[in-house]
Amino acid sequence: MKTNYSGLLAFFLALITHVSFAQNTFSGVVSDSDGLPLPGASVFVKGTTTGTQTDFDGNYSITAAAGDILVFSFVGMRTVEVNITEQTPPELNITLNLDSQSLEEVVVVGYGTSTKRKVTDNIASISSEQIAEIPTPSVQSTLAGKAAGVQINQVNGKAESGIKIRVRGVATISSSQEPLYVIDGVPMINNDENINDSPINPLVGINPQDIESIQILKDASSAAIYGARGTNGVVLITTKKGKEGKTRVSINSSYGFSRATNKREWLNTGEYVDLFLEAGRNSGEEAYVIDVFNIFAEESVWRNGTVDTDWQDLALVDGSVEDFSANVSGGDEKTTFFISTGYNKTDAIIRGNTLERYSFRTNLDHNISEKFRVGFGTGISKTKVDRLSNDNAFATPLQAIAQIPFTRPYEDDGITPNANTLYYNFLFQEFNADHQSNIWRVLANVYAQWNMTEFLNFRTEFGYDFNSQVEERFFGSLTESASTNGFADANAVQNEKYVLNNYFTYNQDIAEDINLEAIIGMSFEDDRRRLQFVEGQEFPSDDLQTVESASEIVGGGSSRTAFNFLSYFARTNFSLWNKLLFKASIRYDGSSRFGADERYGWFPAFSAGYILTEEDFLKENNTLSLLKLRASWGVTGNAGIGNFASRSLFGGASYNNRSALTPTQIGDPSLKWETTTQWDIGLDFGFARNRITGEIDYYNKTTDDLLLDEPLPATSGFLSITRNVGEIRNSGVEFVLNTKNFIKDNFRWTSSFNIAFNNNEVTDLPGGDIVSGVNIVREGETIADFYLVEFAGADPDNGDALFYLNTELPDGSLDRSTTNDFNEASRIIAGSAFPDIIAGFTNTLNFYNFDLGFTFQGQWGASIFNSGGRFQSASADFFDNQSRDQLDRWQQPGDVTDVPQARLFGANGTQNSTRYLQKADFIRLRNISFGYTIPSNFTEQFGVSRLRLYFTGLNLLTFTDYNGWDPEATADFNANNALNVGREFYSAPPAKTYSIGVNIDF
Amino acid sequence: MKSTYINHLALLALLLISGACDDNLDLAPEQSLDPETATSTAANINNLMVGAYDLAGDNTLFSGDAQLASELLANDGELAWRGTFQGPAEFNRKQMTAQNGFVVPYWTQGYAAINQANLVLDNLDVVTDEAQAQRLEGEAKFIRGLVLFELVRFYGLQYEPGQSNTQPGVPVVTASVADASQIEFPARNTVEEVYAQVITDLTDAYNLLPESNDEYADKYAARAILARVYLQQGNYAAARDAAHDVLSNSGHSLTANYADAFNNDEDALEDIFAWQITTQDGLNDFNTFWATREFGGRSLTADVTVETPYFELFDDPNDVRSQFFYEGNGTLVSSKWQSQFANVPFLRVAEMHLIRAESNFREGSSTGLSPLEEINALRARSNAATLGNISIETILTERKRELGFEGFTLHDLRRTTSNVAGLPYNANNLVMPLPQREVDANPNLQQNPGYIN
Repeated sequence: MKTNYSGLLAFFLALITHVSFAQNTFSGVVSDSDGLPLPGASVFVKGTTTGTQTDFDGNYSITAAAGDILVFSFVGMRTVEVNITEQTPPELNITLNLDSQSLEEVVVVGYGTSTKRKVTDNIASISSEQIAEIPTPSVQSTLAGKAAGVQINQVNGKAESGIKIRVRGVATISSSQEPLYVIDGVPMINNDENINDSPINPLVGINPQDIESIQILKDASSAAIYGARGTNGVVLITTKKGKEGKTRVSINSSYGFSRATNKREWLNTGEYVDLFLEAGRNSGEEAYVIDVFNIFAEESVWRNGTVDTDWQDLALVDGSVEDFSANVSGGDEKTTFFISTGYNKTDAIIRGNTLERYSFRTNLDHNISEKFRVGFGTGISKTKVDRLSNDNAFATPLQAIAQIPFTRPYEDDGITPNANTLYYNFLFQEFNADHQSNIWRVLANVYAQWNMTEFLNFRTEFGYDFNSQVEERFFGSLTESASTNGFADANAVQNEKYVLNNYFTYNQDIAEDINLEAIIGMSFEDDRRRLQFVEGQEFPSDDLQTVESASEIVGGGSSRTAFNFLSYFARTNFSLWNKLLFKASIRYDGSSRFGADERYGWFPAFSAGYILTEEDFLKENNTLSLLKLRASWGVTGNAGIGNFASRSLFGGASYNNRSALTPTQIGDPSLKWETTTQWDIGLDFGFARNRITGEIDYYNKTTDDLLLDEPLPATSGFLSITRNVGEIRNSGVEFVLNTKNFIKDNFRWTSSFNIAFNNNEVTDLPGGDIVSGVNIVREGETIADFYLVEFAGADPDNGDALFYLNTELPDGSLDRSTTNDFNEASRIIAGSAFPDIIAGFTNTLNFYNFDLGFTFQGQWGASIFNSGGRFQSASADFFDNQSRDQLDRWQQPGDVTDVPQARLFGANGTQNSTRYLQKADFIRLRNISFGYTIPSNFTEQFGVSRLRLYFTGLNLLTFTDYNGWDPEATADFNANNALNVGREFYSAPPAKTYSIGVNIDF
Repeated sequence: MKSTYINHLALLALLLISGACDDNLDLAPEQSLDPETATSTAANINNLMVGAYDLAGDNTLFSGDAQLASELLANDGELAWRGTFQGPAEFNRKQMTAQNGFVVPYWTQGYAAINQANLVLDNLDVVTDEAQAQRLEGEAKFIRGLVLFELVRFYGLQYEPGQSNTQPGVPVVTASVADASQIEFPARNTVEEVYAQVITDLTDAYNLLPESNDEYADKYAARAILARVYLQQGNYAAARDAAHDVLSNSGHSLTANYADAFNNDEDALEDIFAWQITTQDGLNDFNTFWATREFGGRSLTADVTVETPYFELFDDPNDVRSQFFYEGNGTLVSSKWQSQFANVPFLRVAEMHLIRAESNFREGSSTGLSPLEEINALRARSNAATLGNISIETILTERKRELGFEGFTLHDLRRTTSNVAGLPYNANNLVMPLPQREVDANPNLQQNPGYIN
């Protein structure tokens, strides 16, 4: 009733306007040169806020008066303006032509923008459509599979989990492997501020729905403008802005549920009891096994299997994702605006882990006059996370799989967790503990642009980024802190950064067919971080959970640290006859992070492009619509090390509450950034009027002066020193193919495929091998390869675990005979922690009012070492519940199996060996969405220009031979360690999420 | 014209902005000192010395883990390892690997403490007060000698009395490292050379240290360690004299009750030296592994429980030491570590009595007390029946009763050339492997036999 009423009112109002201003209604179809309708084309009356969009069939309807100018525009098409006169017919069909420049798609580059056509660099662009609606709270996760040569892995299934992005392979050993993030021109804080070695995604506060586009600068030519921080690639995030025309209101709401992508199989009570009694017999410890069983359950219980707890099901639970966002955007000639708000609540699939985020953004741009333009953008978010222990703690849910299946999770009341379990029962964390993190993020930037002449403008940008996090924990009297009657701590971090950019941009066609564009400027960036913490124990009550109530304060502290960068940069683009493109750039970077003698560095880059299809002999070619050759060379740096890594330092300590001093690090005063020299040759092509387009690139990226934490003999008192030594080379091929498979009236299907091959090699390592646990850095090999003794299965005669000797024989070959003494076997390089092939395949289909989009993602060549294997799949070495494959153990002479005889305390093959190493190749249906748009002629009755219902899913299918939880899940406590990579340790799989949602546009 | 003027103005503004920023690149760390400052004053040298105790007294070394290794490596059924850590499990099985998570920190933490002591010794010239300089030198040598002794016992074969002892020990490092140019790649010294350095350091410490020194090492702490060192070498006369000196002159004596010697926040009368633990710093790993969760241990049952064969050592049911246990979820756990933040007794008077008694017995002397009287005096405190006569076996058994779980077992078995859980005292797999990371980082180090990878 109410809706009808408002519809009536609108109609009435429209009538009044119509009558009052004698306007006419114009309607028709907007189509492309092939006659295919263009849905979503913008139609508005120039200089007003009156505007609309075409519907799915290209239809529009708008009122205008004589003298008005109607503007029809569509991305990639040349805009058409129609002067309305008294004679203009009411039916106005418009044909938009492909912009003669074709790929005029705007590409954001450092300190400016360019077009796809002009760019001579390798930049991956991802638009808002590709990342919207993917049911995950983290921006980076939405990018997986979308950009060639960009590997994106969420560390594990926790909602706030850290995310690793690797652009064109790992080019460093000890310094940061993360790209530089820049949002609306401001480099972002990207510090993981966790307090328990379980990383928090620093970008968790960003609402993906606020993002207009993401550009990933992959080659040196594009990244060199960010100098000492360009080596790992640069991720440029551009937020949405308002567009001139009608005010648009857009609402998106979705709700879904999720579960683990995979569960593993563990022994039930009957199997467990049999296996361990057998293991006890084999070790002469059967009586001891029975003693231990009796500690944890009455004999009748474990003998008869009356309790059979599936601990995994207690840890991995059903989760949910709720997402709501709304935005209003629009503007006129002088002012445009974008206002948005968002809410996301993610109950993770791991018990007790929840994320809740509120976000707000306002972007405002205003032309003061023709000469001056100012703008302001601010994003504010609050994220609350109920957190879990890191993977290496009994309190972390997934470690519960080690519990004996005949122990009950709860007491008889069904509420109080059972304390009599083999390991600390993680359910006490929910019952008697609390761990919460609150994160506030403010991202603000303001700019002023002064168009000094037609060709020259000056822009000044001031950006501010504030990341504040308070993480509070309480462990009650029933938890692992029982002996101190509880424990609580509170940690506060405030990290702020301000950035000042000033630059001139010059752009002029200095002669016919010659265009010159140049920028020159400077940037100053200052980053300060403060930390305070306090911890206390002895609590009067489990209901008093803040440190205030602790009767004994047992720790506290505060610290401050800072770094800054002062940079100058210049770039010039020069194009001749629209077909020869040249670019040169230089950046001069100085940073407080480096030794006084090595404070500044130069980072030059050059690139050139040649658009062959602009040549006369190809211009009229109907098959080949675009052929562009590109080549670039550039130098970038990696400054991602500690703020004071170049110095030898002594820090405070204490003994018996007396102050003490102790050396904390030893430094090399000549330390400087890593230098990466990268060249790239590429080819952009388009066939059949760009129905088929693509890119092929070959790159070679050599990083020398590696910032390396070189292990020192501990006899020096130190374990490592950061030095510039060694060289790594990444080389590879990237291939992108975009096709428009069908462009029919009511059926469109486009595909985008990308694949990247990367070959990583440590080409120089003067100090020799660096071994870090099971990983090794060795000259001539891929970085951080697995270095392990090779497991050879069970001895068919006696069930002993066997290992290949692999000692080098005089002829250089390896001795392939086996031994049952682990200490006699030599380690070999047994696999790589990084994939050498990554690929993505995205399809978008539109069929009448239905739309379908999905992305497959694949990875090949990486292995994962399960550090938990020695407990989980250990031939019943200890009382931990075992994976079901341990039932294949050797039992009698002649048995041929990979599972050695079960022996309690027998360490029968439980050492670090290839027994626990596995290939982690996979193909995954990363995301899928299926939508239906209700015909607009129906919804418009209610004032709704678009109403779309959709289903969307994340990680719905995974194809892999890996038999751990998930080929992407790795140990979170190692996530920030550059060498201890590819290790899994009770690491939760990611979520598989099914959501339904609705988009409503007014 | 106008536009040129504007350009100049803007460029000027640009330069001004940039010029003003340049100085900002000089940022200094706010939580740290550079090496020159850190070693520039007597107060700082004193702070460095306190830091050396902090490192040596770490849980990974003397506050529990080193002693745990000795007990588990020697375990022949007196104890049960019920924990999940693989490092101790490997000790218990006598199958260590070079990546053992406990073997690595003994070494790394030990040498960090030695470097800290060397930093004190190499910068003593800034300490102008003579008495203070002497004390600091003594304390630094105490730490260095103590740590070297511990390392050579674990990573080398047993010292053989009267032999040349050329078997590899550990590197003797006597020069401090504060900057990168000072880093060296030392080879292993022989066991003989390491013991010589240990005795020199501890003797110097004895000569330099004051009679008492709060909770830090005094001269009798140095002398007490010397007694332990001589005993390990089979130099019984020297061991006896050192122990006698401590018992006669240190002012320390047995506590009235056995229980009073343990779980103390302040050093007991019996503590010649103890590692200090407070709620704010230090971690007592005896507690972590030998106590139940109720008392700060890792598990409900305690990771290490005491089993029947140990109780069979006792000859008198009234011996309070045989009752100094509590129940942990159906198992028996020692009561020696029931307080999470108690100090870690390291040199108890009881040990000195046992050293003097054994040494007197072996030497046929009666310095201080006759062996029989001395053992009976010790037993009397625990309400154990007086013995009529003694042999070397009864003295060694008395050590097990008195000093059980305190880290003596492996070293006692090796010095008495006794079998260790069926293995000969000098078996390769009772000697710790050098940490793999160390062999990888220092090409001059020779791994112990039996450890290839």
